[in-house]
Order: sequence, then C-alpha cells, then structure tokens
Amino acid sequence: MKYNWKIGGEAGYGIMTTGTVISKIATRSGYHIFSYFEYPSLIRGGHNTVEVVFSDEEITASKWHVDMLVCLNKATYDLHKHRLTSNSIVMYDPDIFQPDIECKKVPLPLKKIKEKQEIHQQMLNTVAVGGSISMLGGDIAIFEDILKHQFARKGQEVVDFNVRLAKVGFDQIKADNVTPLSILSKKNETPEKMVLTGNDAYSIATVGADCKYYAAYPMTPSSSILMSLAAWQDQTQMVVRHSEDEIAVINSALGASFAGVRSSVGTSGGGFALMVEALSYAGIAEIPIVVFLGMRPGPATGMPTWTEQGDLLFATQAGHGEFPKIVLAPGDVSEMIELTLKAFDLADNYQTPVIIVADKFLCESFKDLFKDDVDKTLKDYSPNRGRIVSSTTQSPYLRYKIEETGVSEMLIPGQKGVFFQANSYEHIEDSHTTEDSEARKKQVEKRNKKWNTYLKTHFDGPKYYGDKLADTVFVTWGGVKGIVQEAQKILSREHNKNVGLLHFNHVYPLDEELIKSFFKDNVRYILVENNSHAQFGQLLRMQTGVNLNEKVLKYDGRPFWPEELVKYVNGESKQIHNDVPKSEDVEKPEATSDLEKRQDELLNKLAAKMATA
Amino acid sequence: MQTQPTQTGFDAYTPTWCPGCGDWAIRIGIKTAFTQLGLDPSKIFMAFDIGCSGNMNDFFNAYAMHTLHGRAVTNAVGMKIANHDLTTIVIGGDGGIYGEGGNHFLHACRGNHDITVIVHDNMVYGLTKGQVAPTASKGYKSSSTPSGIIEQPVNPLALAITQGATFVAQGFAGDTPGLIAIIKEGVKHKGFSLINVLQPCVTFNKVNTYHYYLEHTYKLDKSHDPTNLKSALEKSVEGFTDKFPLGILYQSSKKTFHEELPQLDKPLYQKGRFTDFDLLIERFM
Repeated sequence: MKYNWKIGGEAGYGIMTTGTVISKIATRSGYHIFSYFEYPSLIRGGHNTVEVVFSDEEITASKWHVDMLVCLNKATYDLHKHRLTSNSIVMYDPDIFQPDIECKKVPLPLKKIKEKQEIHQQMLNTVAVGGSISMLGGDIAIFEDILKHQFARKGQEVVDFNVRLAKVGFDQIKADNVTPLSILSKKNETPEKMVLTGNDAYSIATVGADCKYYAAYPMTPSSSILMSLAAWQDQTQMVVRHSEDEIAVINSALGASFAGVRSSVGTSGGGFALMVEALSYAGIAEIPIVVFLGMRPGPATGMPTWTEQGDLLFATQAGHGEFPKIVLAPGDVSEMIELTLKAFDLADNYQTPVIIVADKFLCESFKDLFKDDVDKTLKDYSPNRGRIVSSTTQSPYLRYKIEETGVSEMLIPGQKGVFFQANSYEHIEDSHTTEDSEARKKQVEKRNKKWNTYLKTHFDGPKYYGDKLADTVFVTWGGVKGIVQEAQKILSREHNKNVGLLHFNHVYPLDEELIKSFFKDNVRYILVENNSHAQFGQLLRMQTGVNLNEKVLKYDGRPFWPEELVKYVNGESKQIHNDVPKSEDVEKPEATSDLEKRQDELLNKLAAKMATA
Repeated sequence: MQTQPTQTGFDAYTPTWCPGCGDWAIRIGIKTAFTQLGLDPSKIFMAFDIGCSGNMNDFFNAYAMHTLHGRAVTNAVGMKIANHDLTTIVIGGDGGIYGEGGNHFLHACRGNHDITVIVHDNMVYGLTKGQVAPTASKGYKSSSTPSGIIEQPVNPLALAITQGATFVAQGFAGDTPGLIAIIKEGVKHKGFSLINVLQPCVTFNKVNTYHYYLEHTYKLDKSHDPTNLKSALEKSVEGFTDKFPLGILYQSSKKTFHEELPQLDKPLYQKGRFTDFDLLIERFM
C-alpha cells in the first residue's frame, strides 16, 4: 500500500502544520510516511501544498499519483488535477467549485462550516484533517491527543476549541454516509516512531555531538535548524546566535572553536558564499568547524524555496588557496544523524572544515524513523576529539608541529605558561608568521597529509543497493537516494527489472582506487543528479578518472519523481511531467477575509486608475 | 637586533614597524597596562586584525587569533562566549575595524560583548602603502584618492556610543602614560570597550603628524562626566570641528552579552555534554 494524501491552500493558512500532524497520526497508527512540501517564497497569498504518502513498508520518496486531494481552495484542484486518476478522492467545498474530471467526489462544505462555527480561514485545515481521518478510516483520538499537546500551553479552552473543530470535520464526512477507507486504520503493533526532516535530524545530531555553539543567519532551506536549536537552548545549554551576517556567523564560530568548544554554522548558497573567506582561515589556522549547507536553486537568490543539488562543486572548491576539507552528503534523515555525528568527529580529528550538503528536498521533507534506533545511535555515540587536548606536556608547545598524519596537538587555551596563535598567515611550527620557502613547503605538505590520513581512516566508499548482478545501475549522491530507491522498487515489482543503485555520501575527497573498484565493464551506469552541470559526474572524473556518459539531470527546482526515472530506464520518455498547468490557467483564489477583500478592491481601483492615466 | 619570543612575558619577536611609528608606543601601552593589571599571556585572548597594527601578533604573546582582515571583532566575540574567564582584546586598524569590519563593529557594540577593541587610527592604510582610511578627513589625498576623498570620515566614538558600547575612550600614541591609564580602565570595564588611538603614520601620512596631534588634541578634565550620554556625544563630534578629546568619553554599566545568557553560569567550554535525548526525541513523535 502506497497512498498519497495531498492538501493545498493559500500560504499562511497552516498547510505546513497540517502535513506534520497527519504524518504523526499515520506513524502513531503504525504506518510509514514520507511527506514533501512545496511553497513559494511568500508569507501570504501564494499556494502551499503538502503531500504525505502512507505505506505499510518503509517509504523514501513521494509518488506521482495523488490518491486523495484535499482542496482548501480551487487553485489546489486546478494545479494538481493532472495528478489524479479516476480512483482519486477529491475533497472539495461545493460552494466554491465542482471537480470537472472523473474522480471520487467527497464534498466538505468548508465555507458553511466557517460561517457556522465563526472561525478564521486558518482553522479550516483542522476541519479538513478531521474530515480526512474520517475518510481514511483513521482514529480521531490520535488527532485529539496531538492537538492537546500542540495547544497545551495556550490553555484548555484553546485545546477544546481545536478538538471540536477536528470533530466537526470528522463528523461531517461520517454524516454524509461516505464509505470510509481503511488506509489509516490503526494497526495492532505500532512501534514508536519519530517524524523528522533532514534539518531536524541535523539539529538533534548537533546536540548529540556535543556542539556547544551554533550560529546562523536565517536562510531557506536551513533556517529551521536555527529555530529548533534556539528553542532548545534552555535545555541543551548550547549557545545559539543569530548574528549580523554570515561572515560574523562563521568567524564567531571559529572563535568559539579556537577557545575549545565544538561549533557549527548553517546556511544556504548565498550565505555560504560569504563564509568562504573564513573557511580558508579555518584551513590554514587548522580550526575545526562543521558547516551545514542547505542547497536551493541558484544562482544568486534563485528560487529560494525549491530544491537543487547545485552547490556541490562550490562546496568542494570553496576557499582561496589550497587546504584540505571534507564534504559529506547524507542520503536521508537516518544518514543525516549518523553523518552529522561523524562530521563533528572529523572536524576535530582533522582540525579542518567539514561541510554537510543537503538539498532542500532532504532539508525539509519528513520521513519516519524508529525512536529506538535514533535513541541508540545518540546514546552509543561519544565524541572523539582526536588530538584536541586541555593540557600539554610539550615545551615549547608547537601548535603546528610537523606530523606524519598531518594532525598536530591542538591545545584548548587556558594552560598557564603556554600560548600560541591561530595564524591566518603561513607560519612555522610554533605558530609565528613566516615567509620562508622551506617552512612554507613543510606546512603545506603537513596540511595536505590530512587528506591521506582521512582516506585511509575515515572515508567510506559508496553503498550499493539492489541486485548485485543488475546490468543497469543508477549512480547518485546526497538526497536523491530515496527517490531512486522508490524507482528501484517500481522497476522490480511492476516491470520485473533489477536496477542497482550506487549511492555516495562521502563525496569529497574521493579515494581513486576504492571508487574505481565499484565500476564494472558491461554495466549501464546512469548518473542521476538534481542539477544541470552533472556536478558529481565532474567531481568523479576529476578525482578518480571514472567517466559516466549517461546522465539524467533535473534542474527545474523540483525533485525527481520515482516514476520519471522508471520511464527513463524503460526508454519511454526523458521528461514525463511537463504537463503541469501554467500559472495563468489557474483561477485566482477569491479573497476570503474582509481585509483581503478591501485590499483587492483598492488594488483593482489603483490598477484601473493606472490604466487610464 | 631580532630577539626570540620569551616563554613567560608578553614580548615575542622584535617589531618590524617603521622607526617612529605610533604602533611602538601603543604596544608598550598595552603591555604595561596588562602587567599592571596582573595579567599574563595565558590569561588573555587576543584577536589581531590584518595590517601594521595586526602584525603585533608576532610581537606579543597571548592565546591569539591572527584573523582575516576586518573579522577580528567577530572572532573575539566567539572566543569570549566560549570562555568568558579570559580577558579578550582586539587589536586592529581604522581600515579593519571601521571599514572592512564596520558592520561587525556596530553589532558588537549593540551586543555589549565584554571585549576591549583597541584601534590604531592613523587615517591611512600603512601596510598596503598609503591609501586613504575611513577615518581620514574629507578631501584627504592618497594613492587611491588622488583628487581627495569624497566621503566624510567615520566617527567611531559617536558610532560606538549610539550603538550601545559601554566604554568609549580616545588615546594618543604620543601620550603613553595617558594611553596606559585608558587601556587599564577599558580592560577592567565589563562590557564592550572601544579605545580609539590617534596615531601618526610617519611613512605615509604627512598631514596627521605628531605635531598635528599635539596641536589638535586636548585632555578631558574632571569637568567631563563620562556617565552623561549627552555630553559624551557632544565630545565625540568635537574633533571634526576643533580638537580631538583624549580620555574616557563615555562609560555606563549594562549587562554584558555573556551575562545575559543563562547557560553561561560557568564557561561554556567547561560545561558537560547534554544527554537527556528523550526531551528532544519526544517533540518529533
């Protein structure tokens, strides 16, 4: 069972919260979920959607067909009816529109409910979730429990009010005698699950890794990390700062790291561009730092709320001059937790920047994980700070002592009788500035050795998923993993084709010999990337000499659909979903509040005036 | 003669500054103030900016960051948050602190971070050979402004006072005893301290010389009340029309940034690891 529930409405009307809530209802009922959000870069007035796929087995991406579409306005129907089948349910308000294609119509009179209950438009999503649970055969008590927790702080009255709204929706569908489905009927065994985005996973792991200083400047799609960590700081005791700009963000984090605490920063492409100078400082001064880079389509401001894997080469090559850095690209929320914990160890062990790159699709899509698994991962972890020490016996203390591994002892400041500098100039072993050719050469070679040590000690090659004998293999990296995995399932179950997947999450540097051993003759390799330059393909060629000729690239701001990859493998099409309606075909949603009506009137008057002027 | 860094005192390598440069006196002022305050190199954080002033990194022992140009204040902010037991000093020039790092400077004032920023203000860029600095007088001719600079000078004192700095003072490199006294007060002060040091560049600035400053400065006397914001602001604009005041223009008492953070009941780097993961996990269920 793979059932896709989708809700849409105007931005600002609580659509996003709805997605989180229904995901939790599903996981508490014993199902697996994957949910994907789309929203424009606006606070109000744009079109927001969430789709949540419920499944009996683990699910790692969305699916193309929508099984139930909940329309809080007509635009939702107009924009998504091309993804409906004749079996799809459309929940709609008969006072606003009637679906004009063959589908299962389930009316929910939202406008009338709104007037009768004297509620604001924002509260209708609660009614719609209530109606959906009714239709899907779910347990309304779970929803009530979630609402109780959500509104507990606001008092019993608010809790009761919201519970009543949920019931209004639930009862309305019941009263209409619609035959309910059993999509969300509660299972007997419901092991405790968490519902997490990539950003949530990063936030939790950052606390788990004993990071004590996190700084950021808000930027989609990484902002929710800043908000989560800030909200938790009373409990975690982390210092979380929203600094004046990304330059201050990373430089203050380097200051904190130099002073002895694990530090991290989060940003997206534009903010990362501002951090690049300091990354170079961290490189030469050998200061540990973990950078979270959430990728959205660029260049420049680009499409802020959409997804792309466009910053891989930028991340790997960021920083003037030559210095070692490590780039990791988790494939899903589970890998995000593991690799974030590892990133802090790597930054300390190699005293150099570690960058975690994640596309918006991973940053902001929800997936479920078993609570016990997450708990175990966090509890089993203990920070490994490598050669970072709080006291030294060296005399004189040599901060940048030449070592075979490339890693010298790093003293946390404070020991009496010792001092050194984190020098942005080239320096000698005791950290004083130098322009001597021999000393320069030695320090460059020392820093470069960190990469050799890393490749031997901590580098993980790609993971292979699927039938080992498959003659067709997808090659991808980062957050595209789950989409390819769903495509693999469809190909195997519906088309009887075994297609493999080679997924990279340790993306830079790459071990040439190890990587080469993964590629065989007479296998069709298809490189799948959410960008237009085939950036990982370039990196692979540059670092290992492996050249992949067949590429599927997508760069319209949207993630791949598993079905898209299936069609590609079957030779049916390169682009299947270009039948998306154009924005001018979508009817403008009518104004819903008095204020909005007044705004519309004024704007219309103004437009008329300007037309005649 | 080049000396080797000492293992205990503040003296590292012999400075490479031009003979007669104001940096020599400022270094002596800082070193004397630290010594009189009972500090030693293992008890202080220093963040050196880039420029002639920042080159003090190799001539002064401390737990130090020799940072990127303009960023020293931000590094110092991070150091202080991670370990507020150590006295934290920033050394930079007018270009680094008020130009490249101008944004960081004003926001650090707002935060009242407990750091002391000592700015070598010679109205010119020395290390890159004499281009105009943001504190130079309007019309100042330099290799990058051959027809004279169009912009009016930054007023660091007024800027700091209005943006929330709680200690704002001005010294002169030709008055070492006065400088020592100001630095001691600035370092002792809890909160953001700005010490702007007027300093001739004997190589590139032929206008703002020792002689010029002797004629264009005066010492604030006891009639000036540094706790009075209004008169401090009045003093802060004087130099641009008449004479630059020397001494403590403004001082007030306000909670510092780290004092505002309840989690810093003890230095951050000494705090244990948070392991109550259930508290976080339950939010996602």
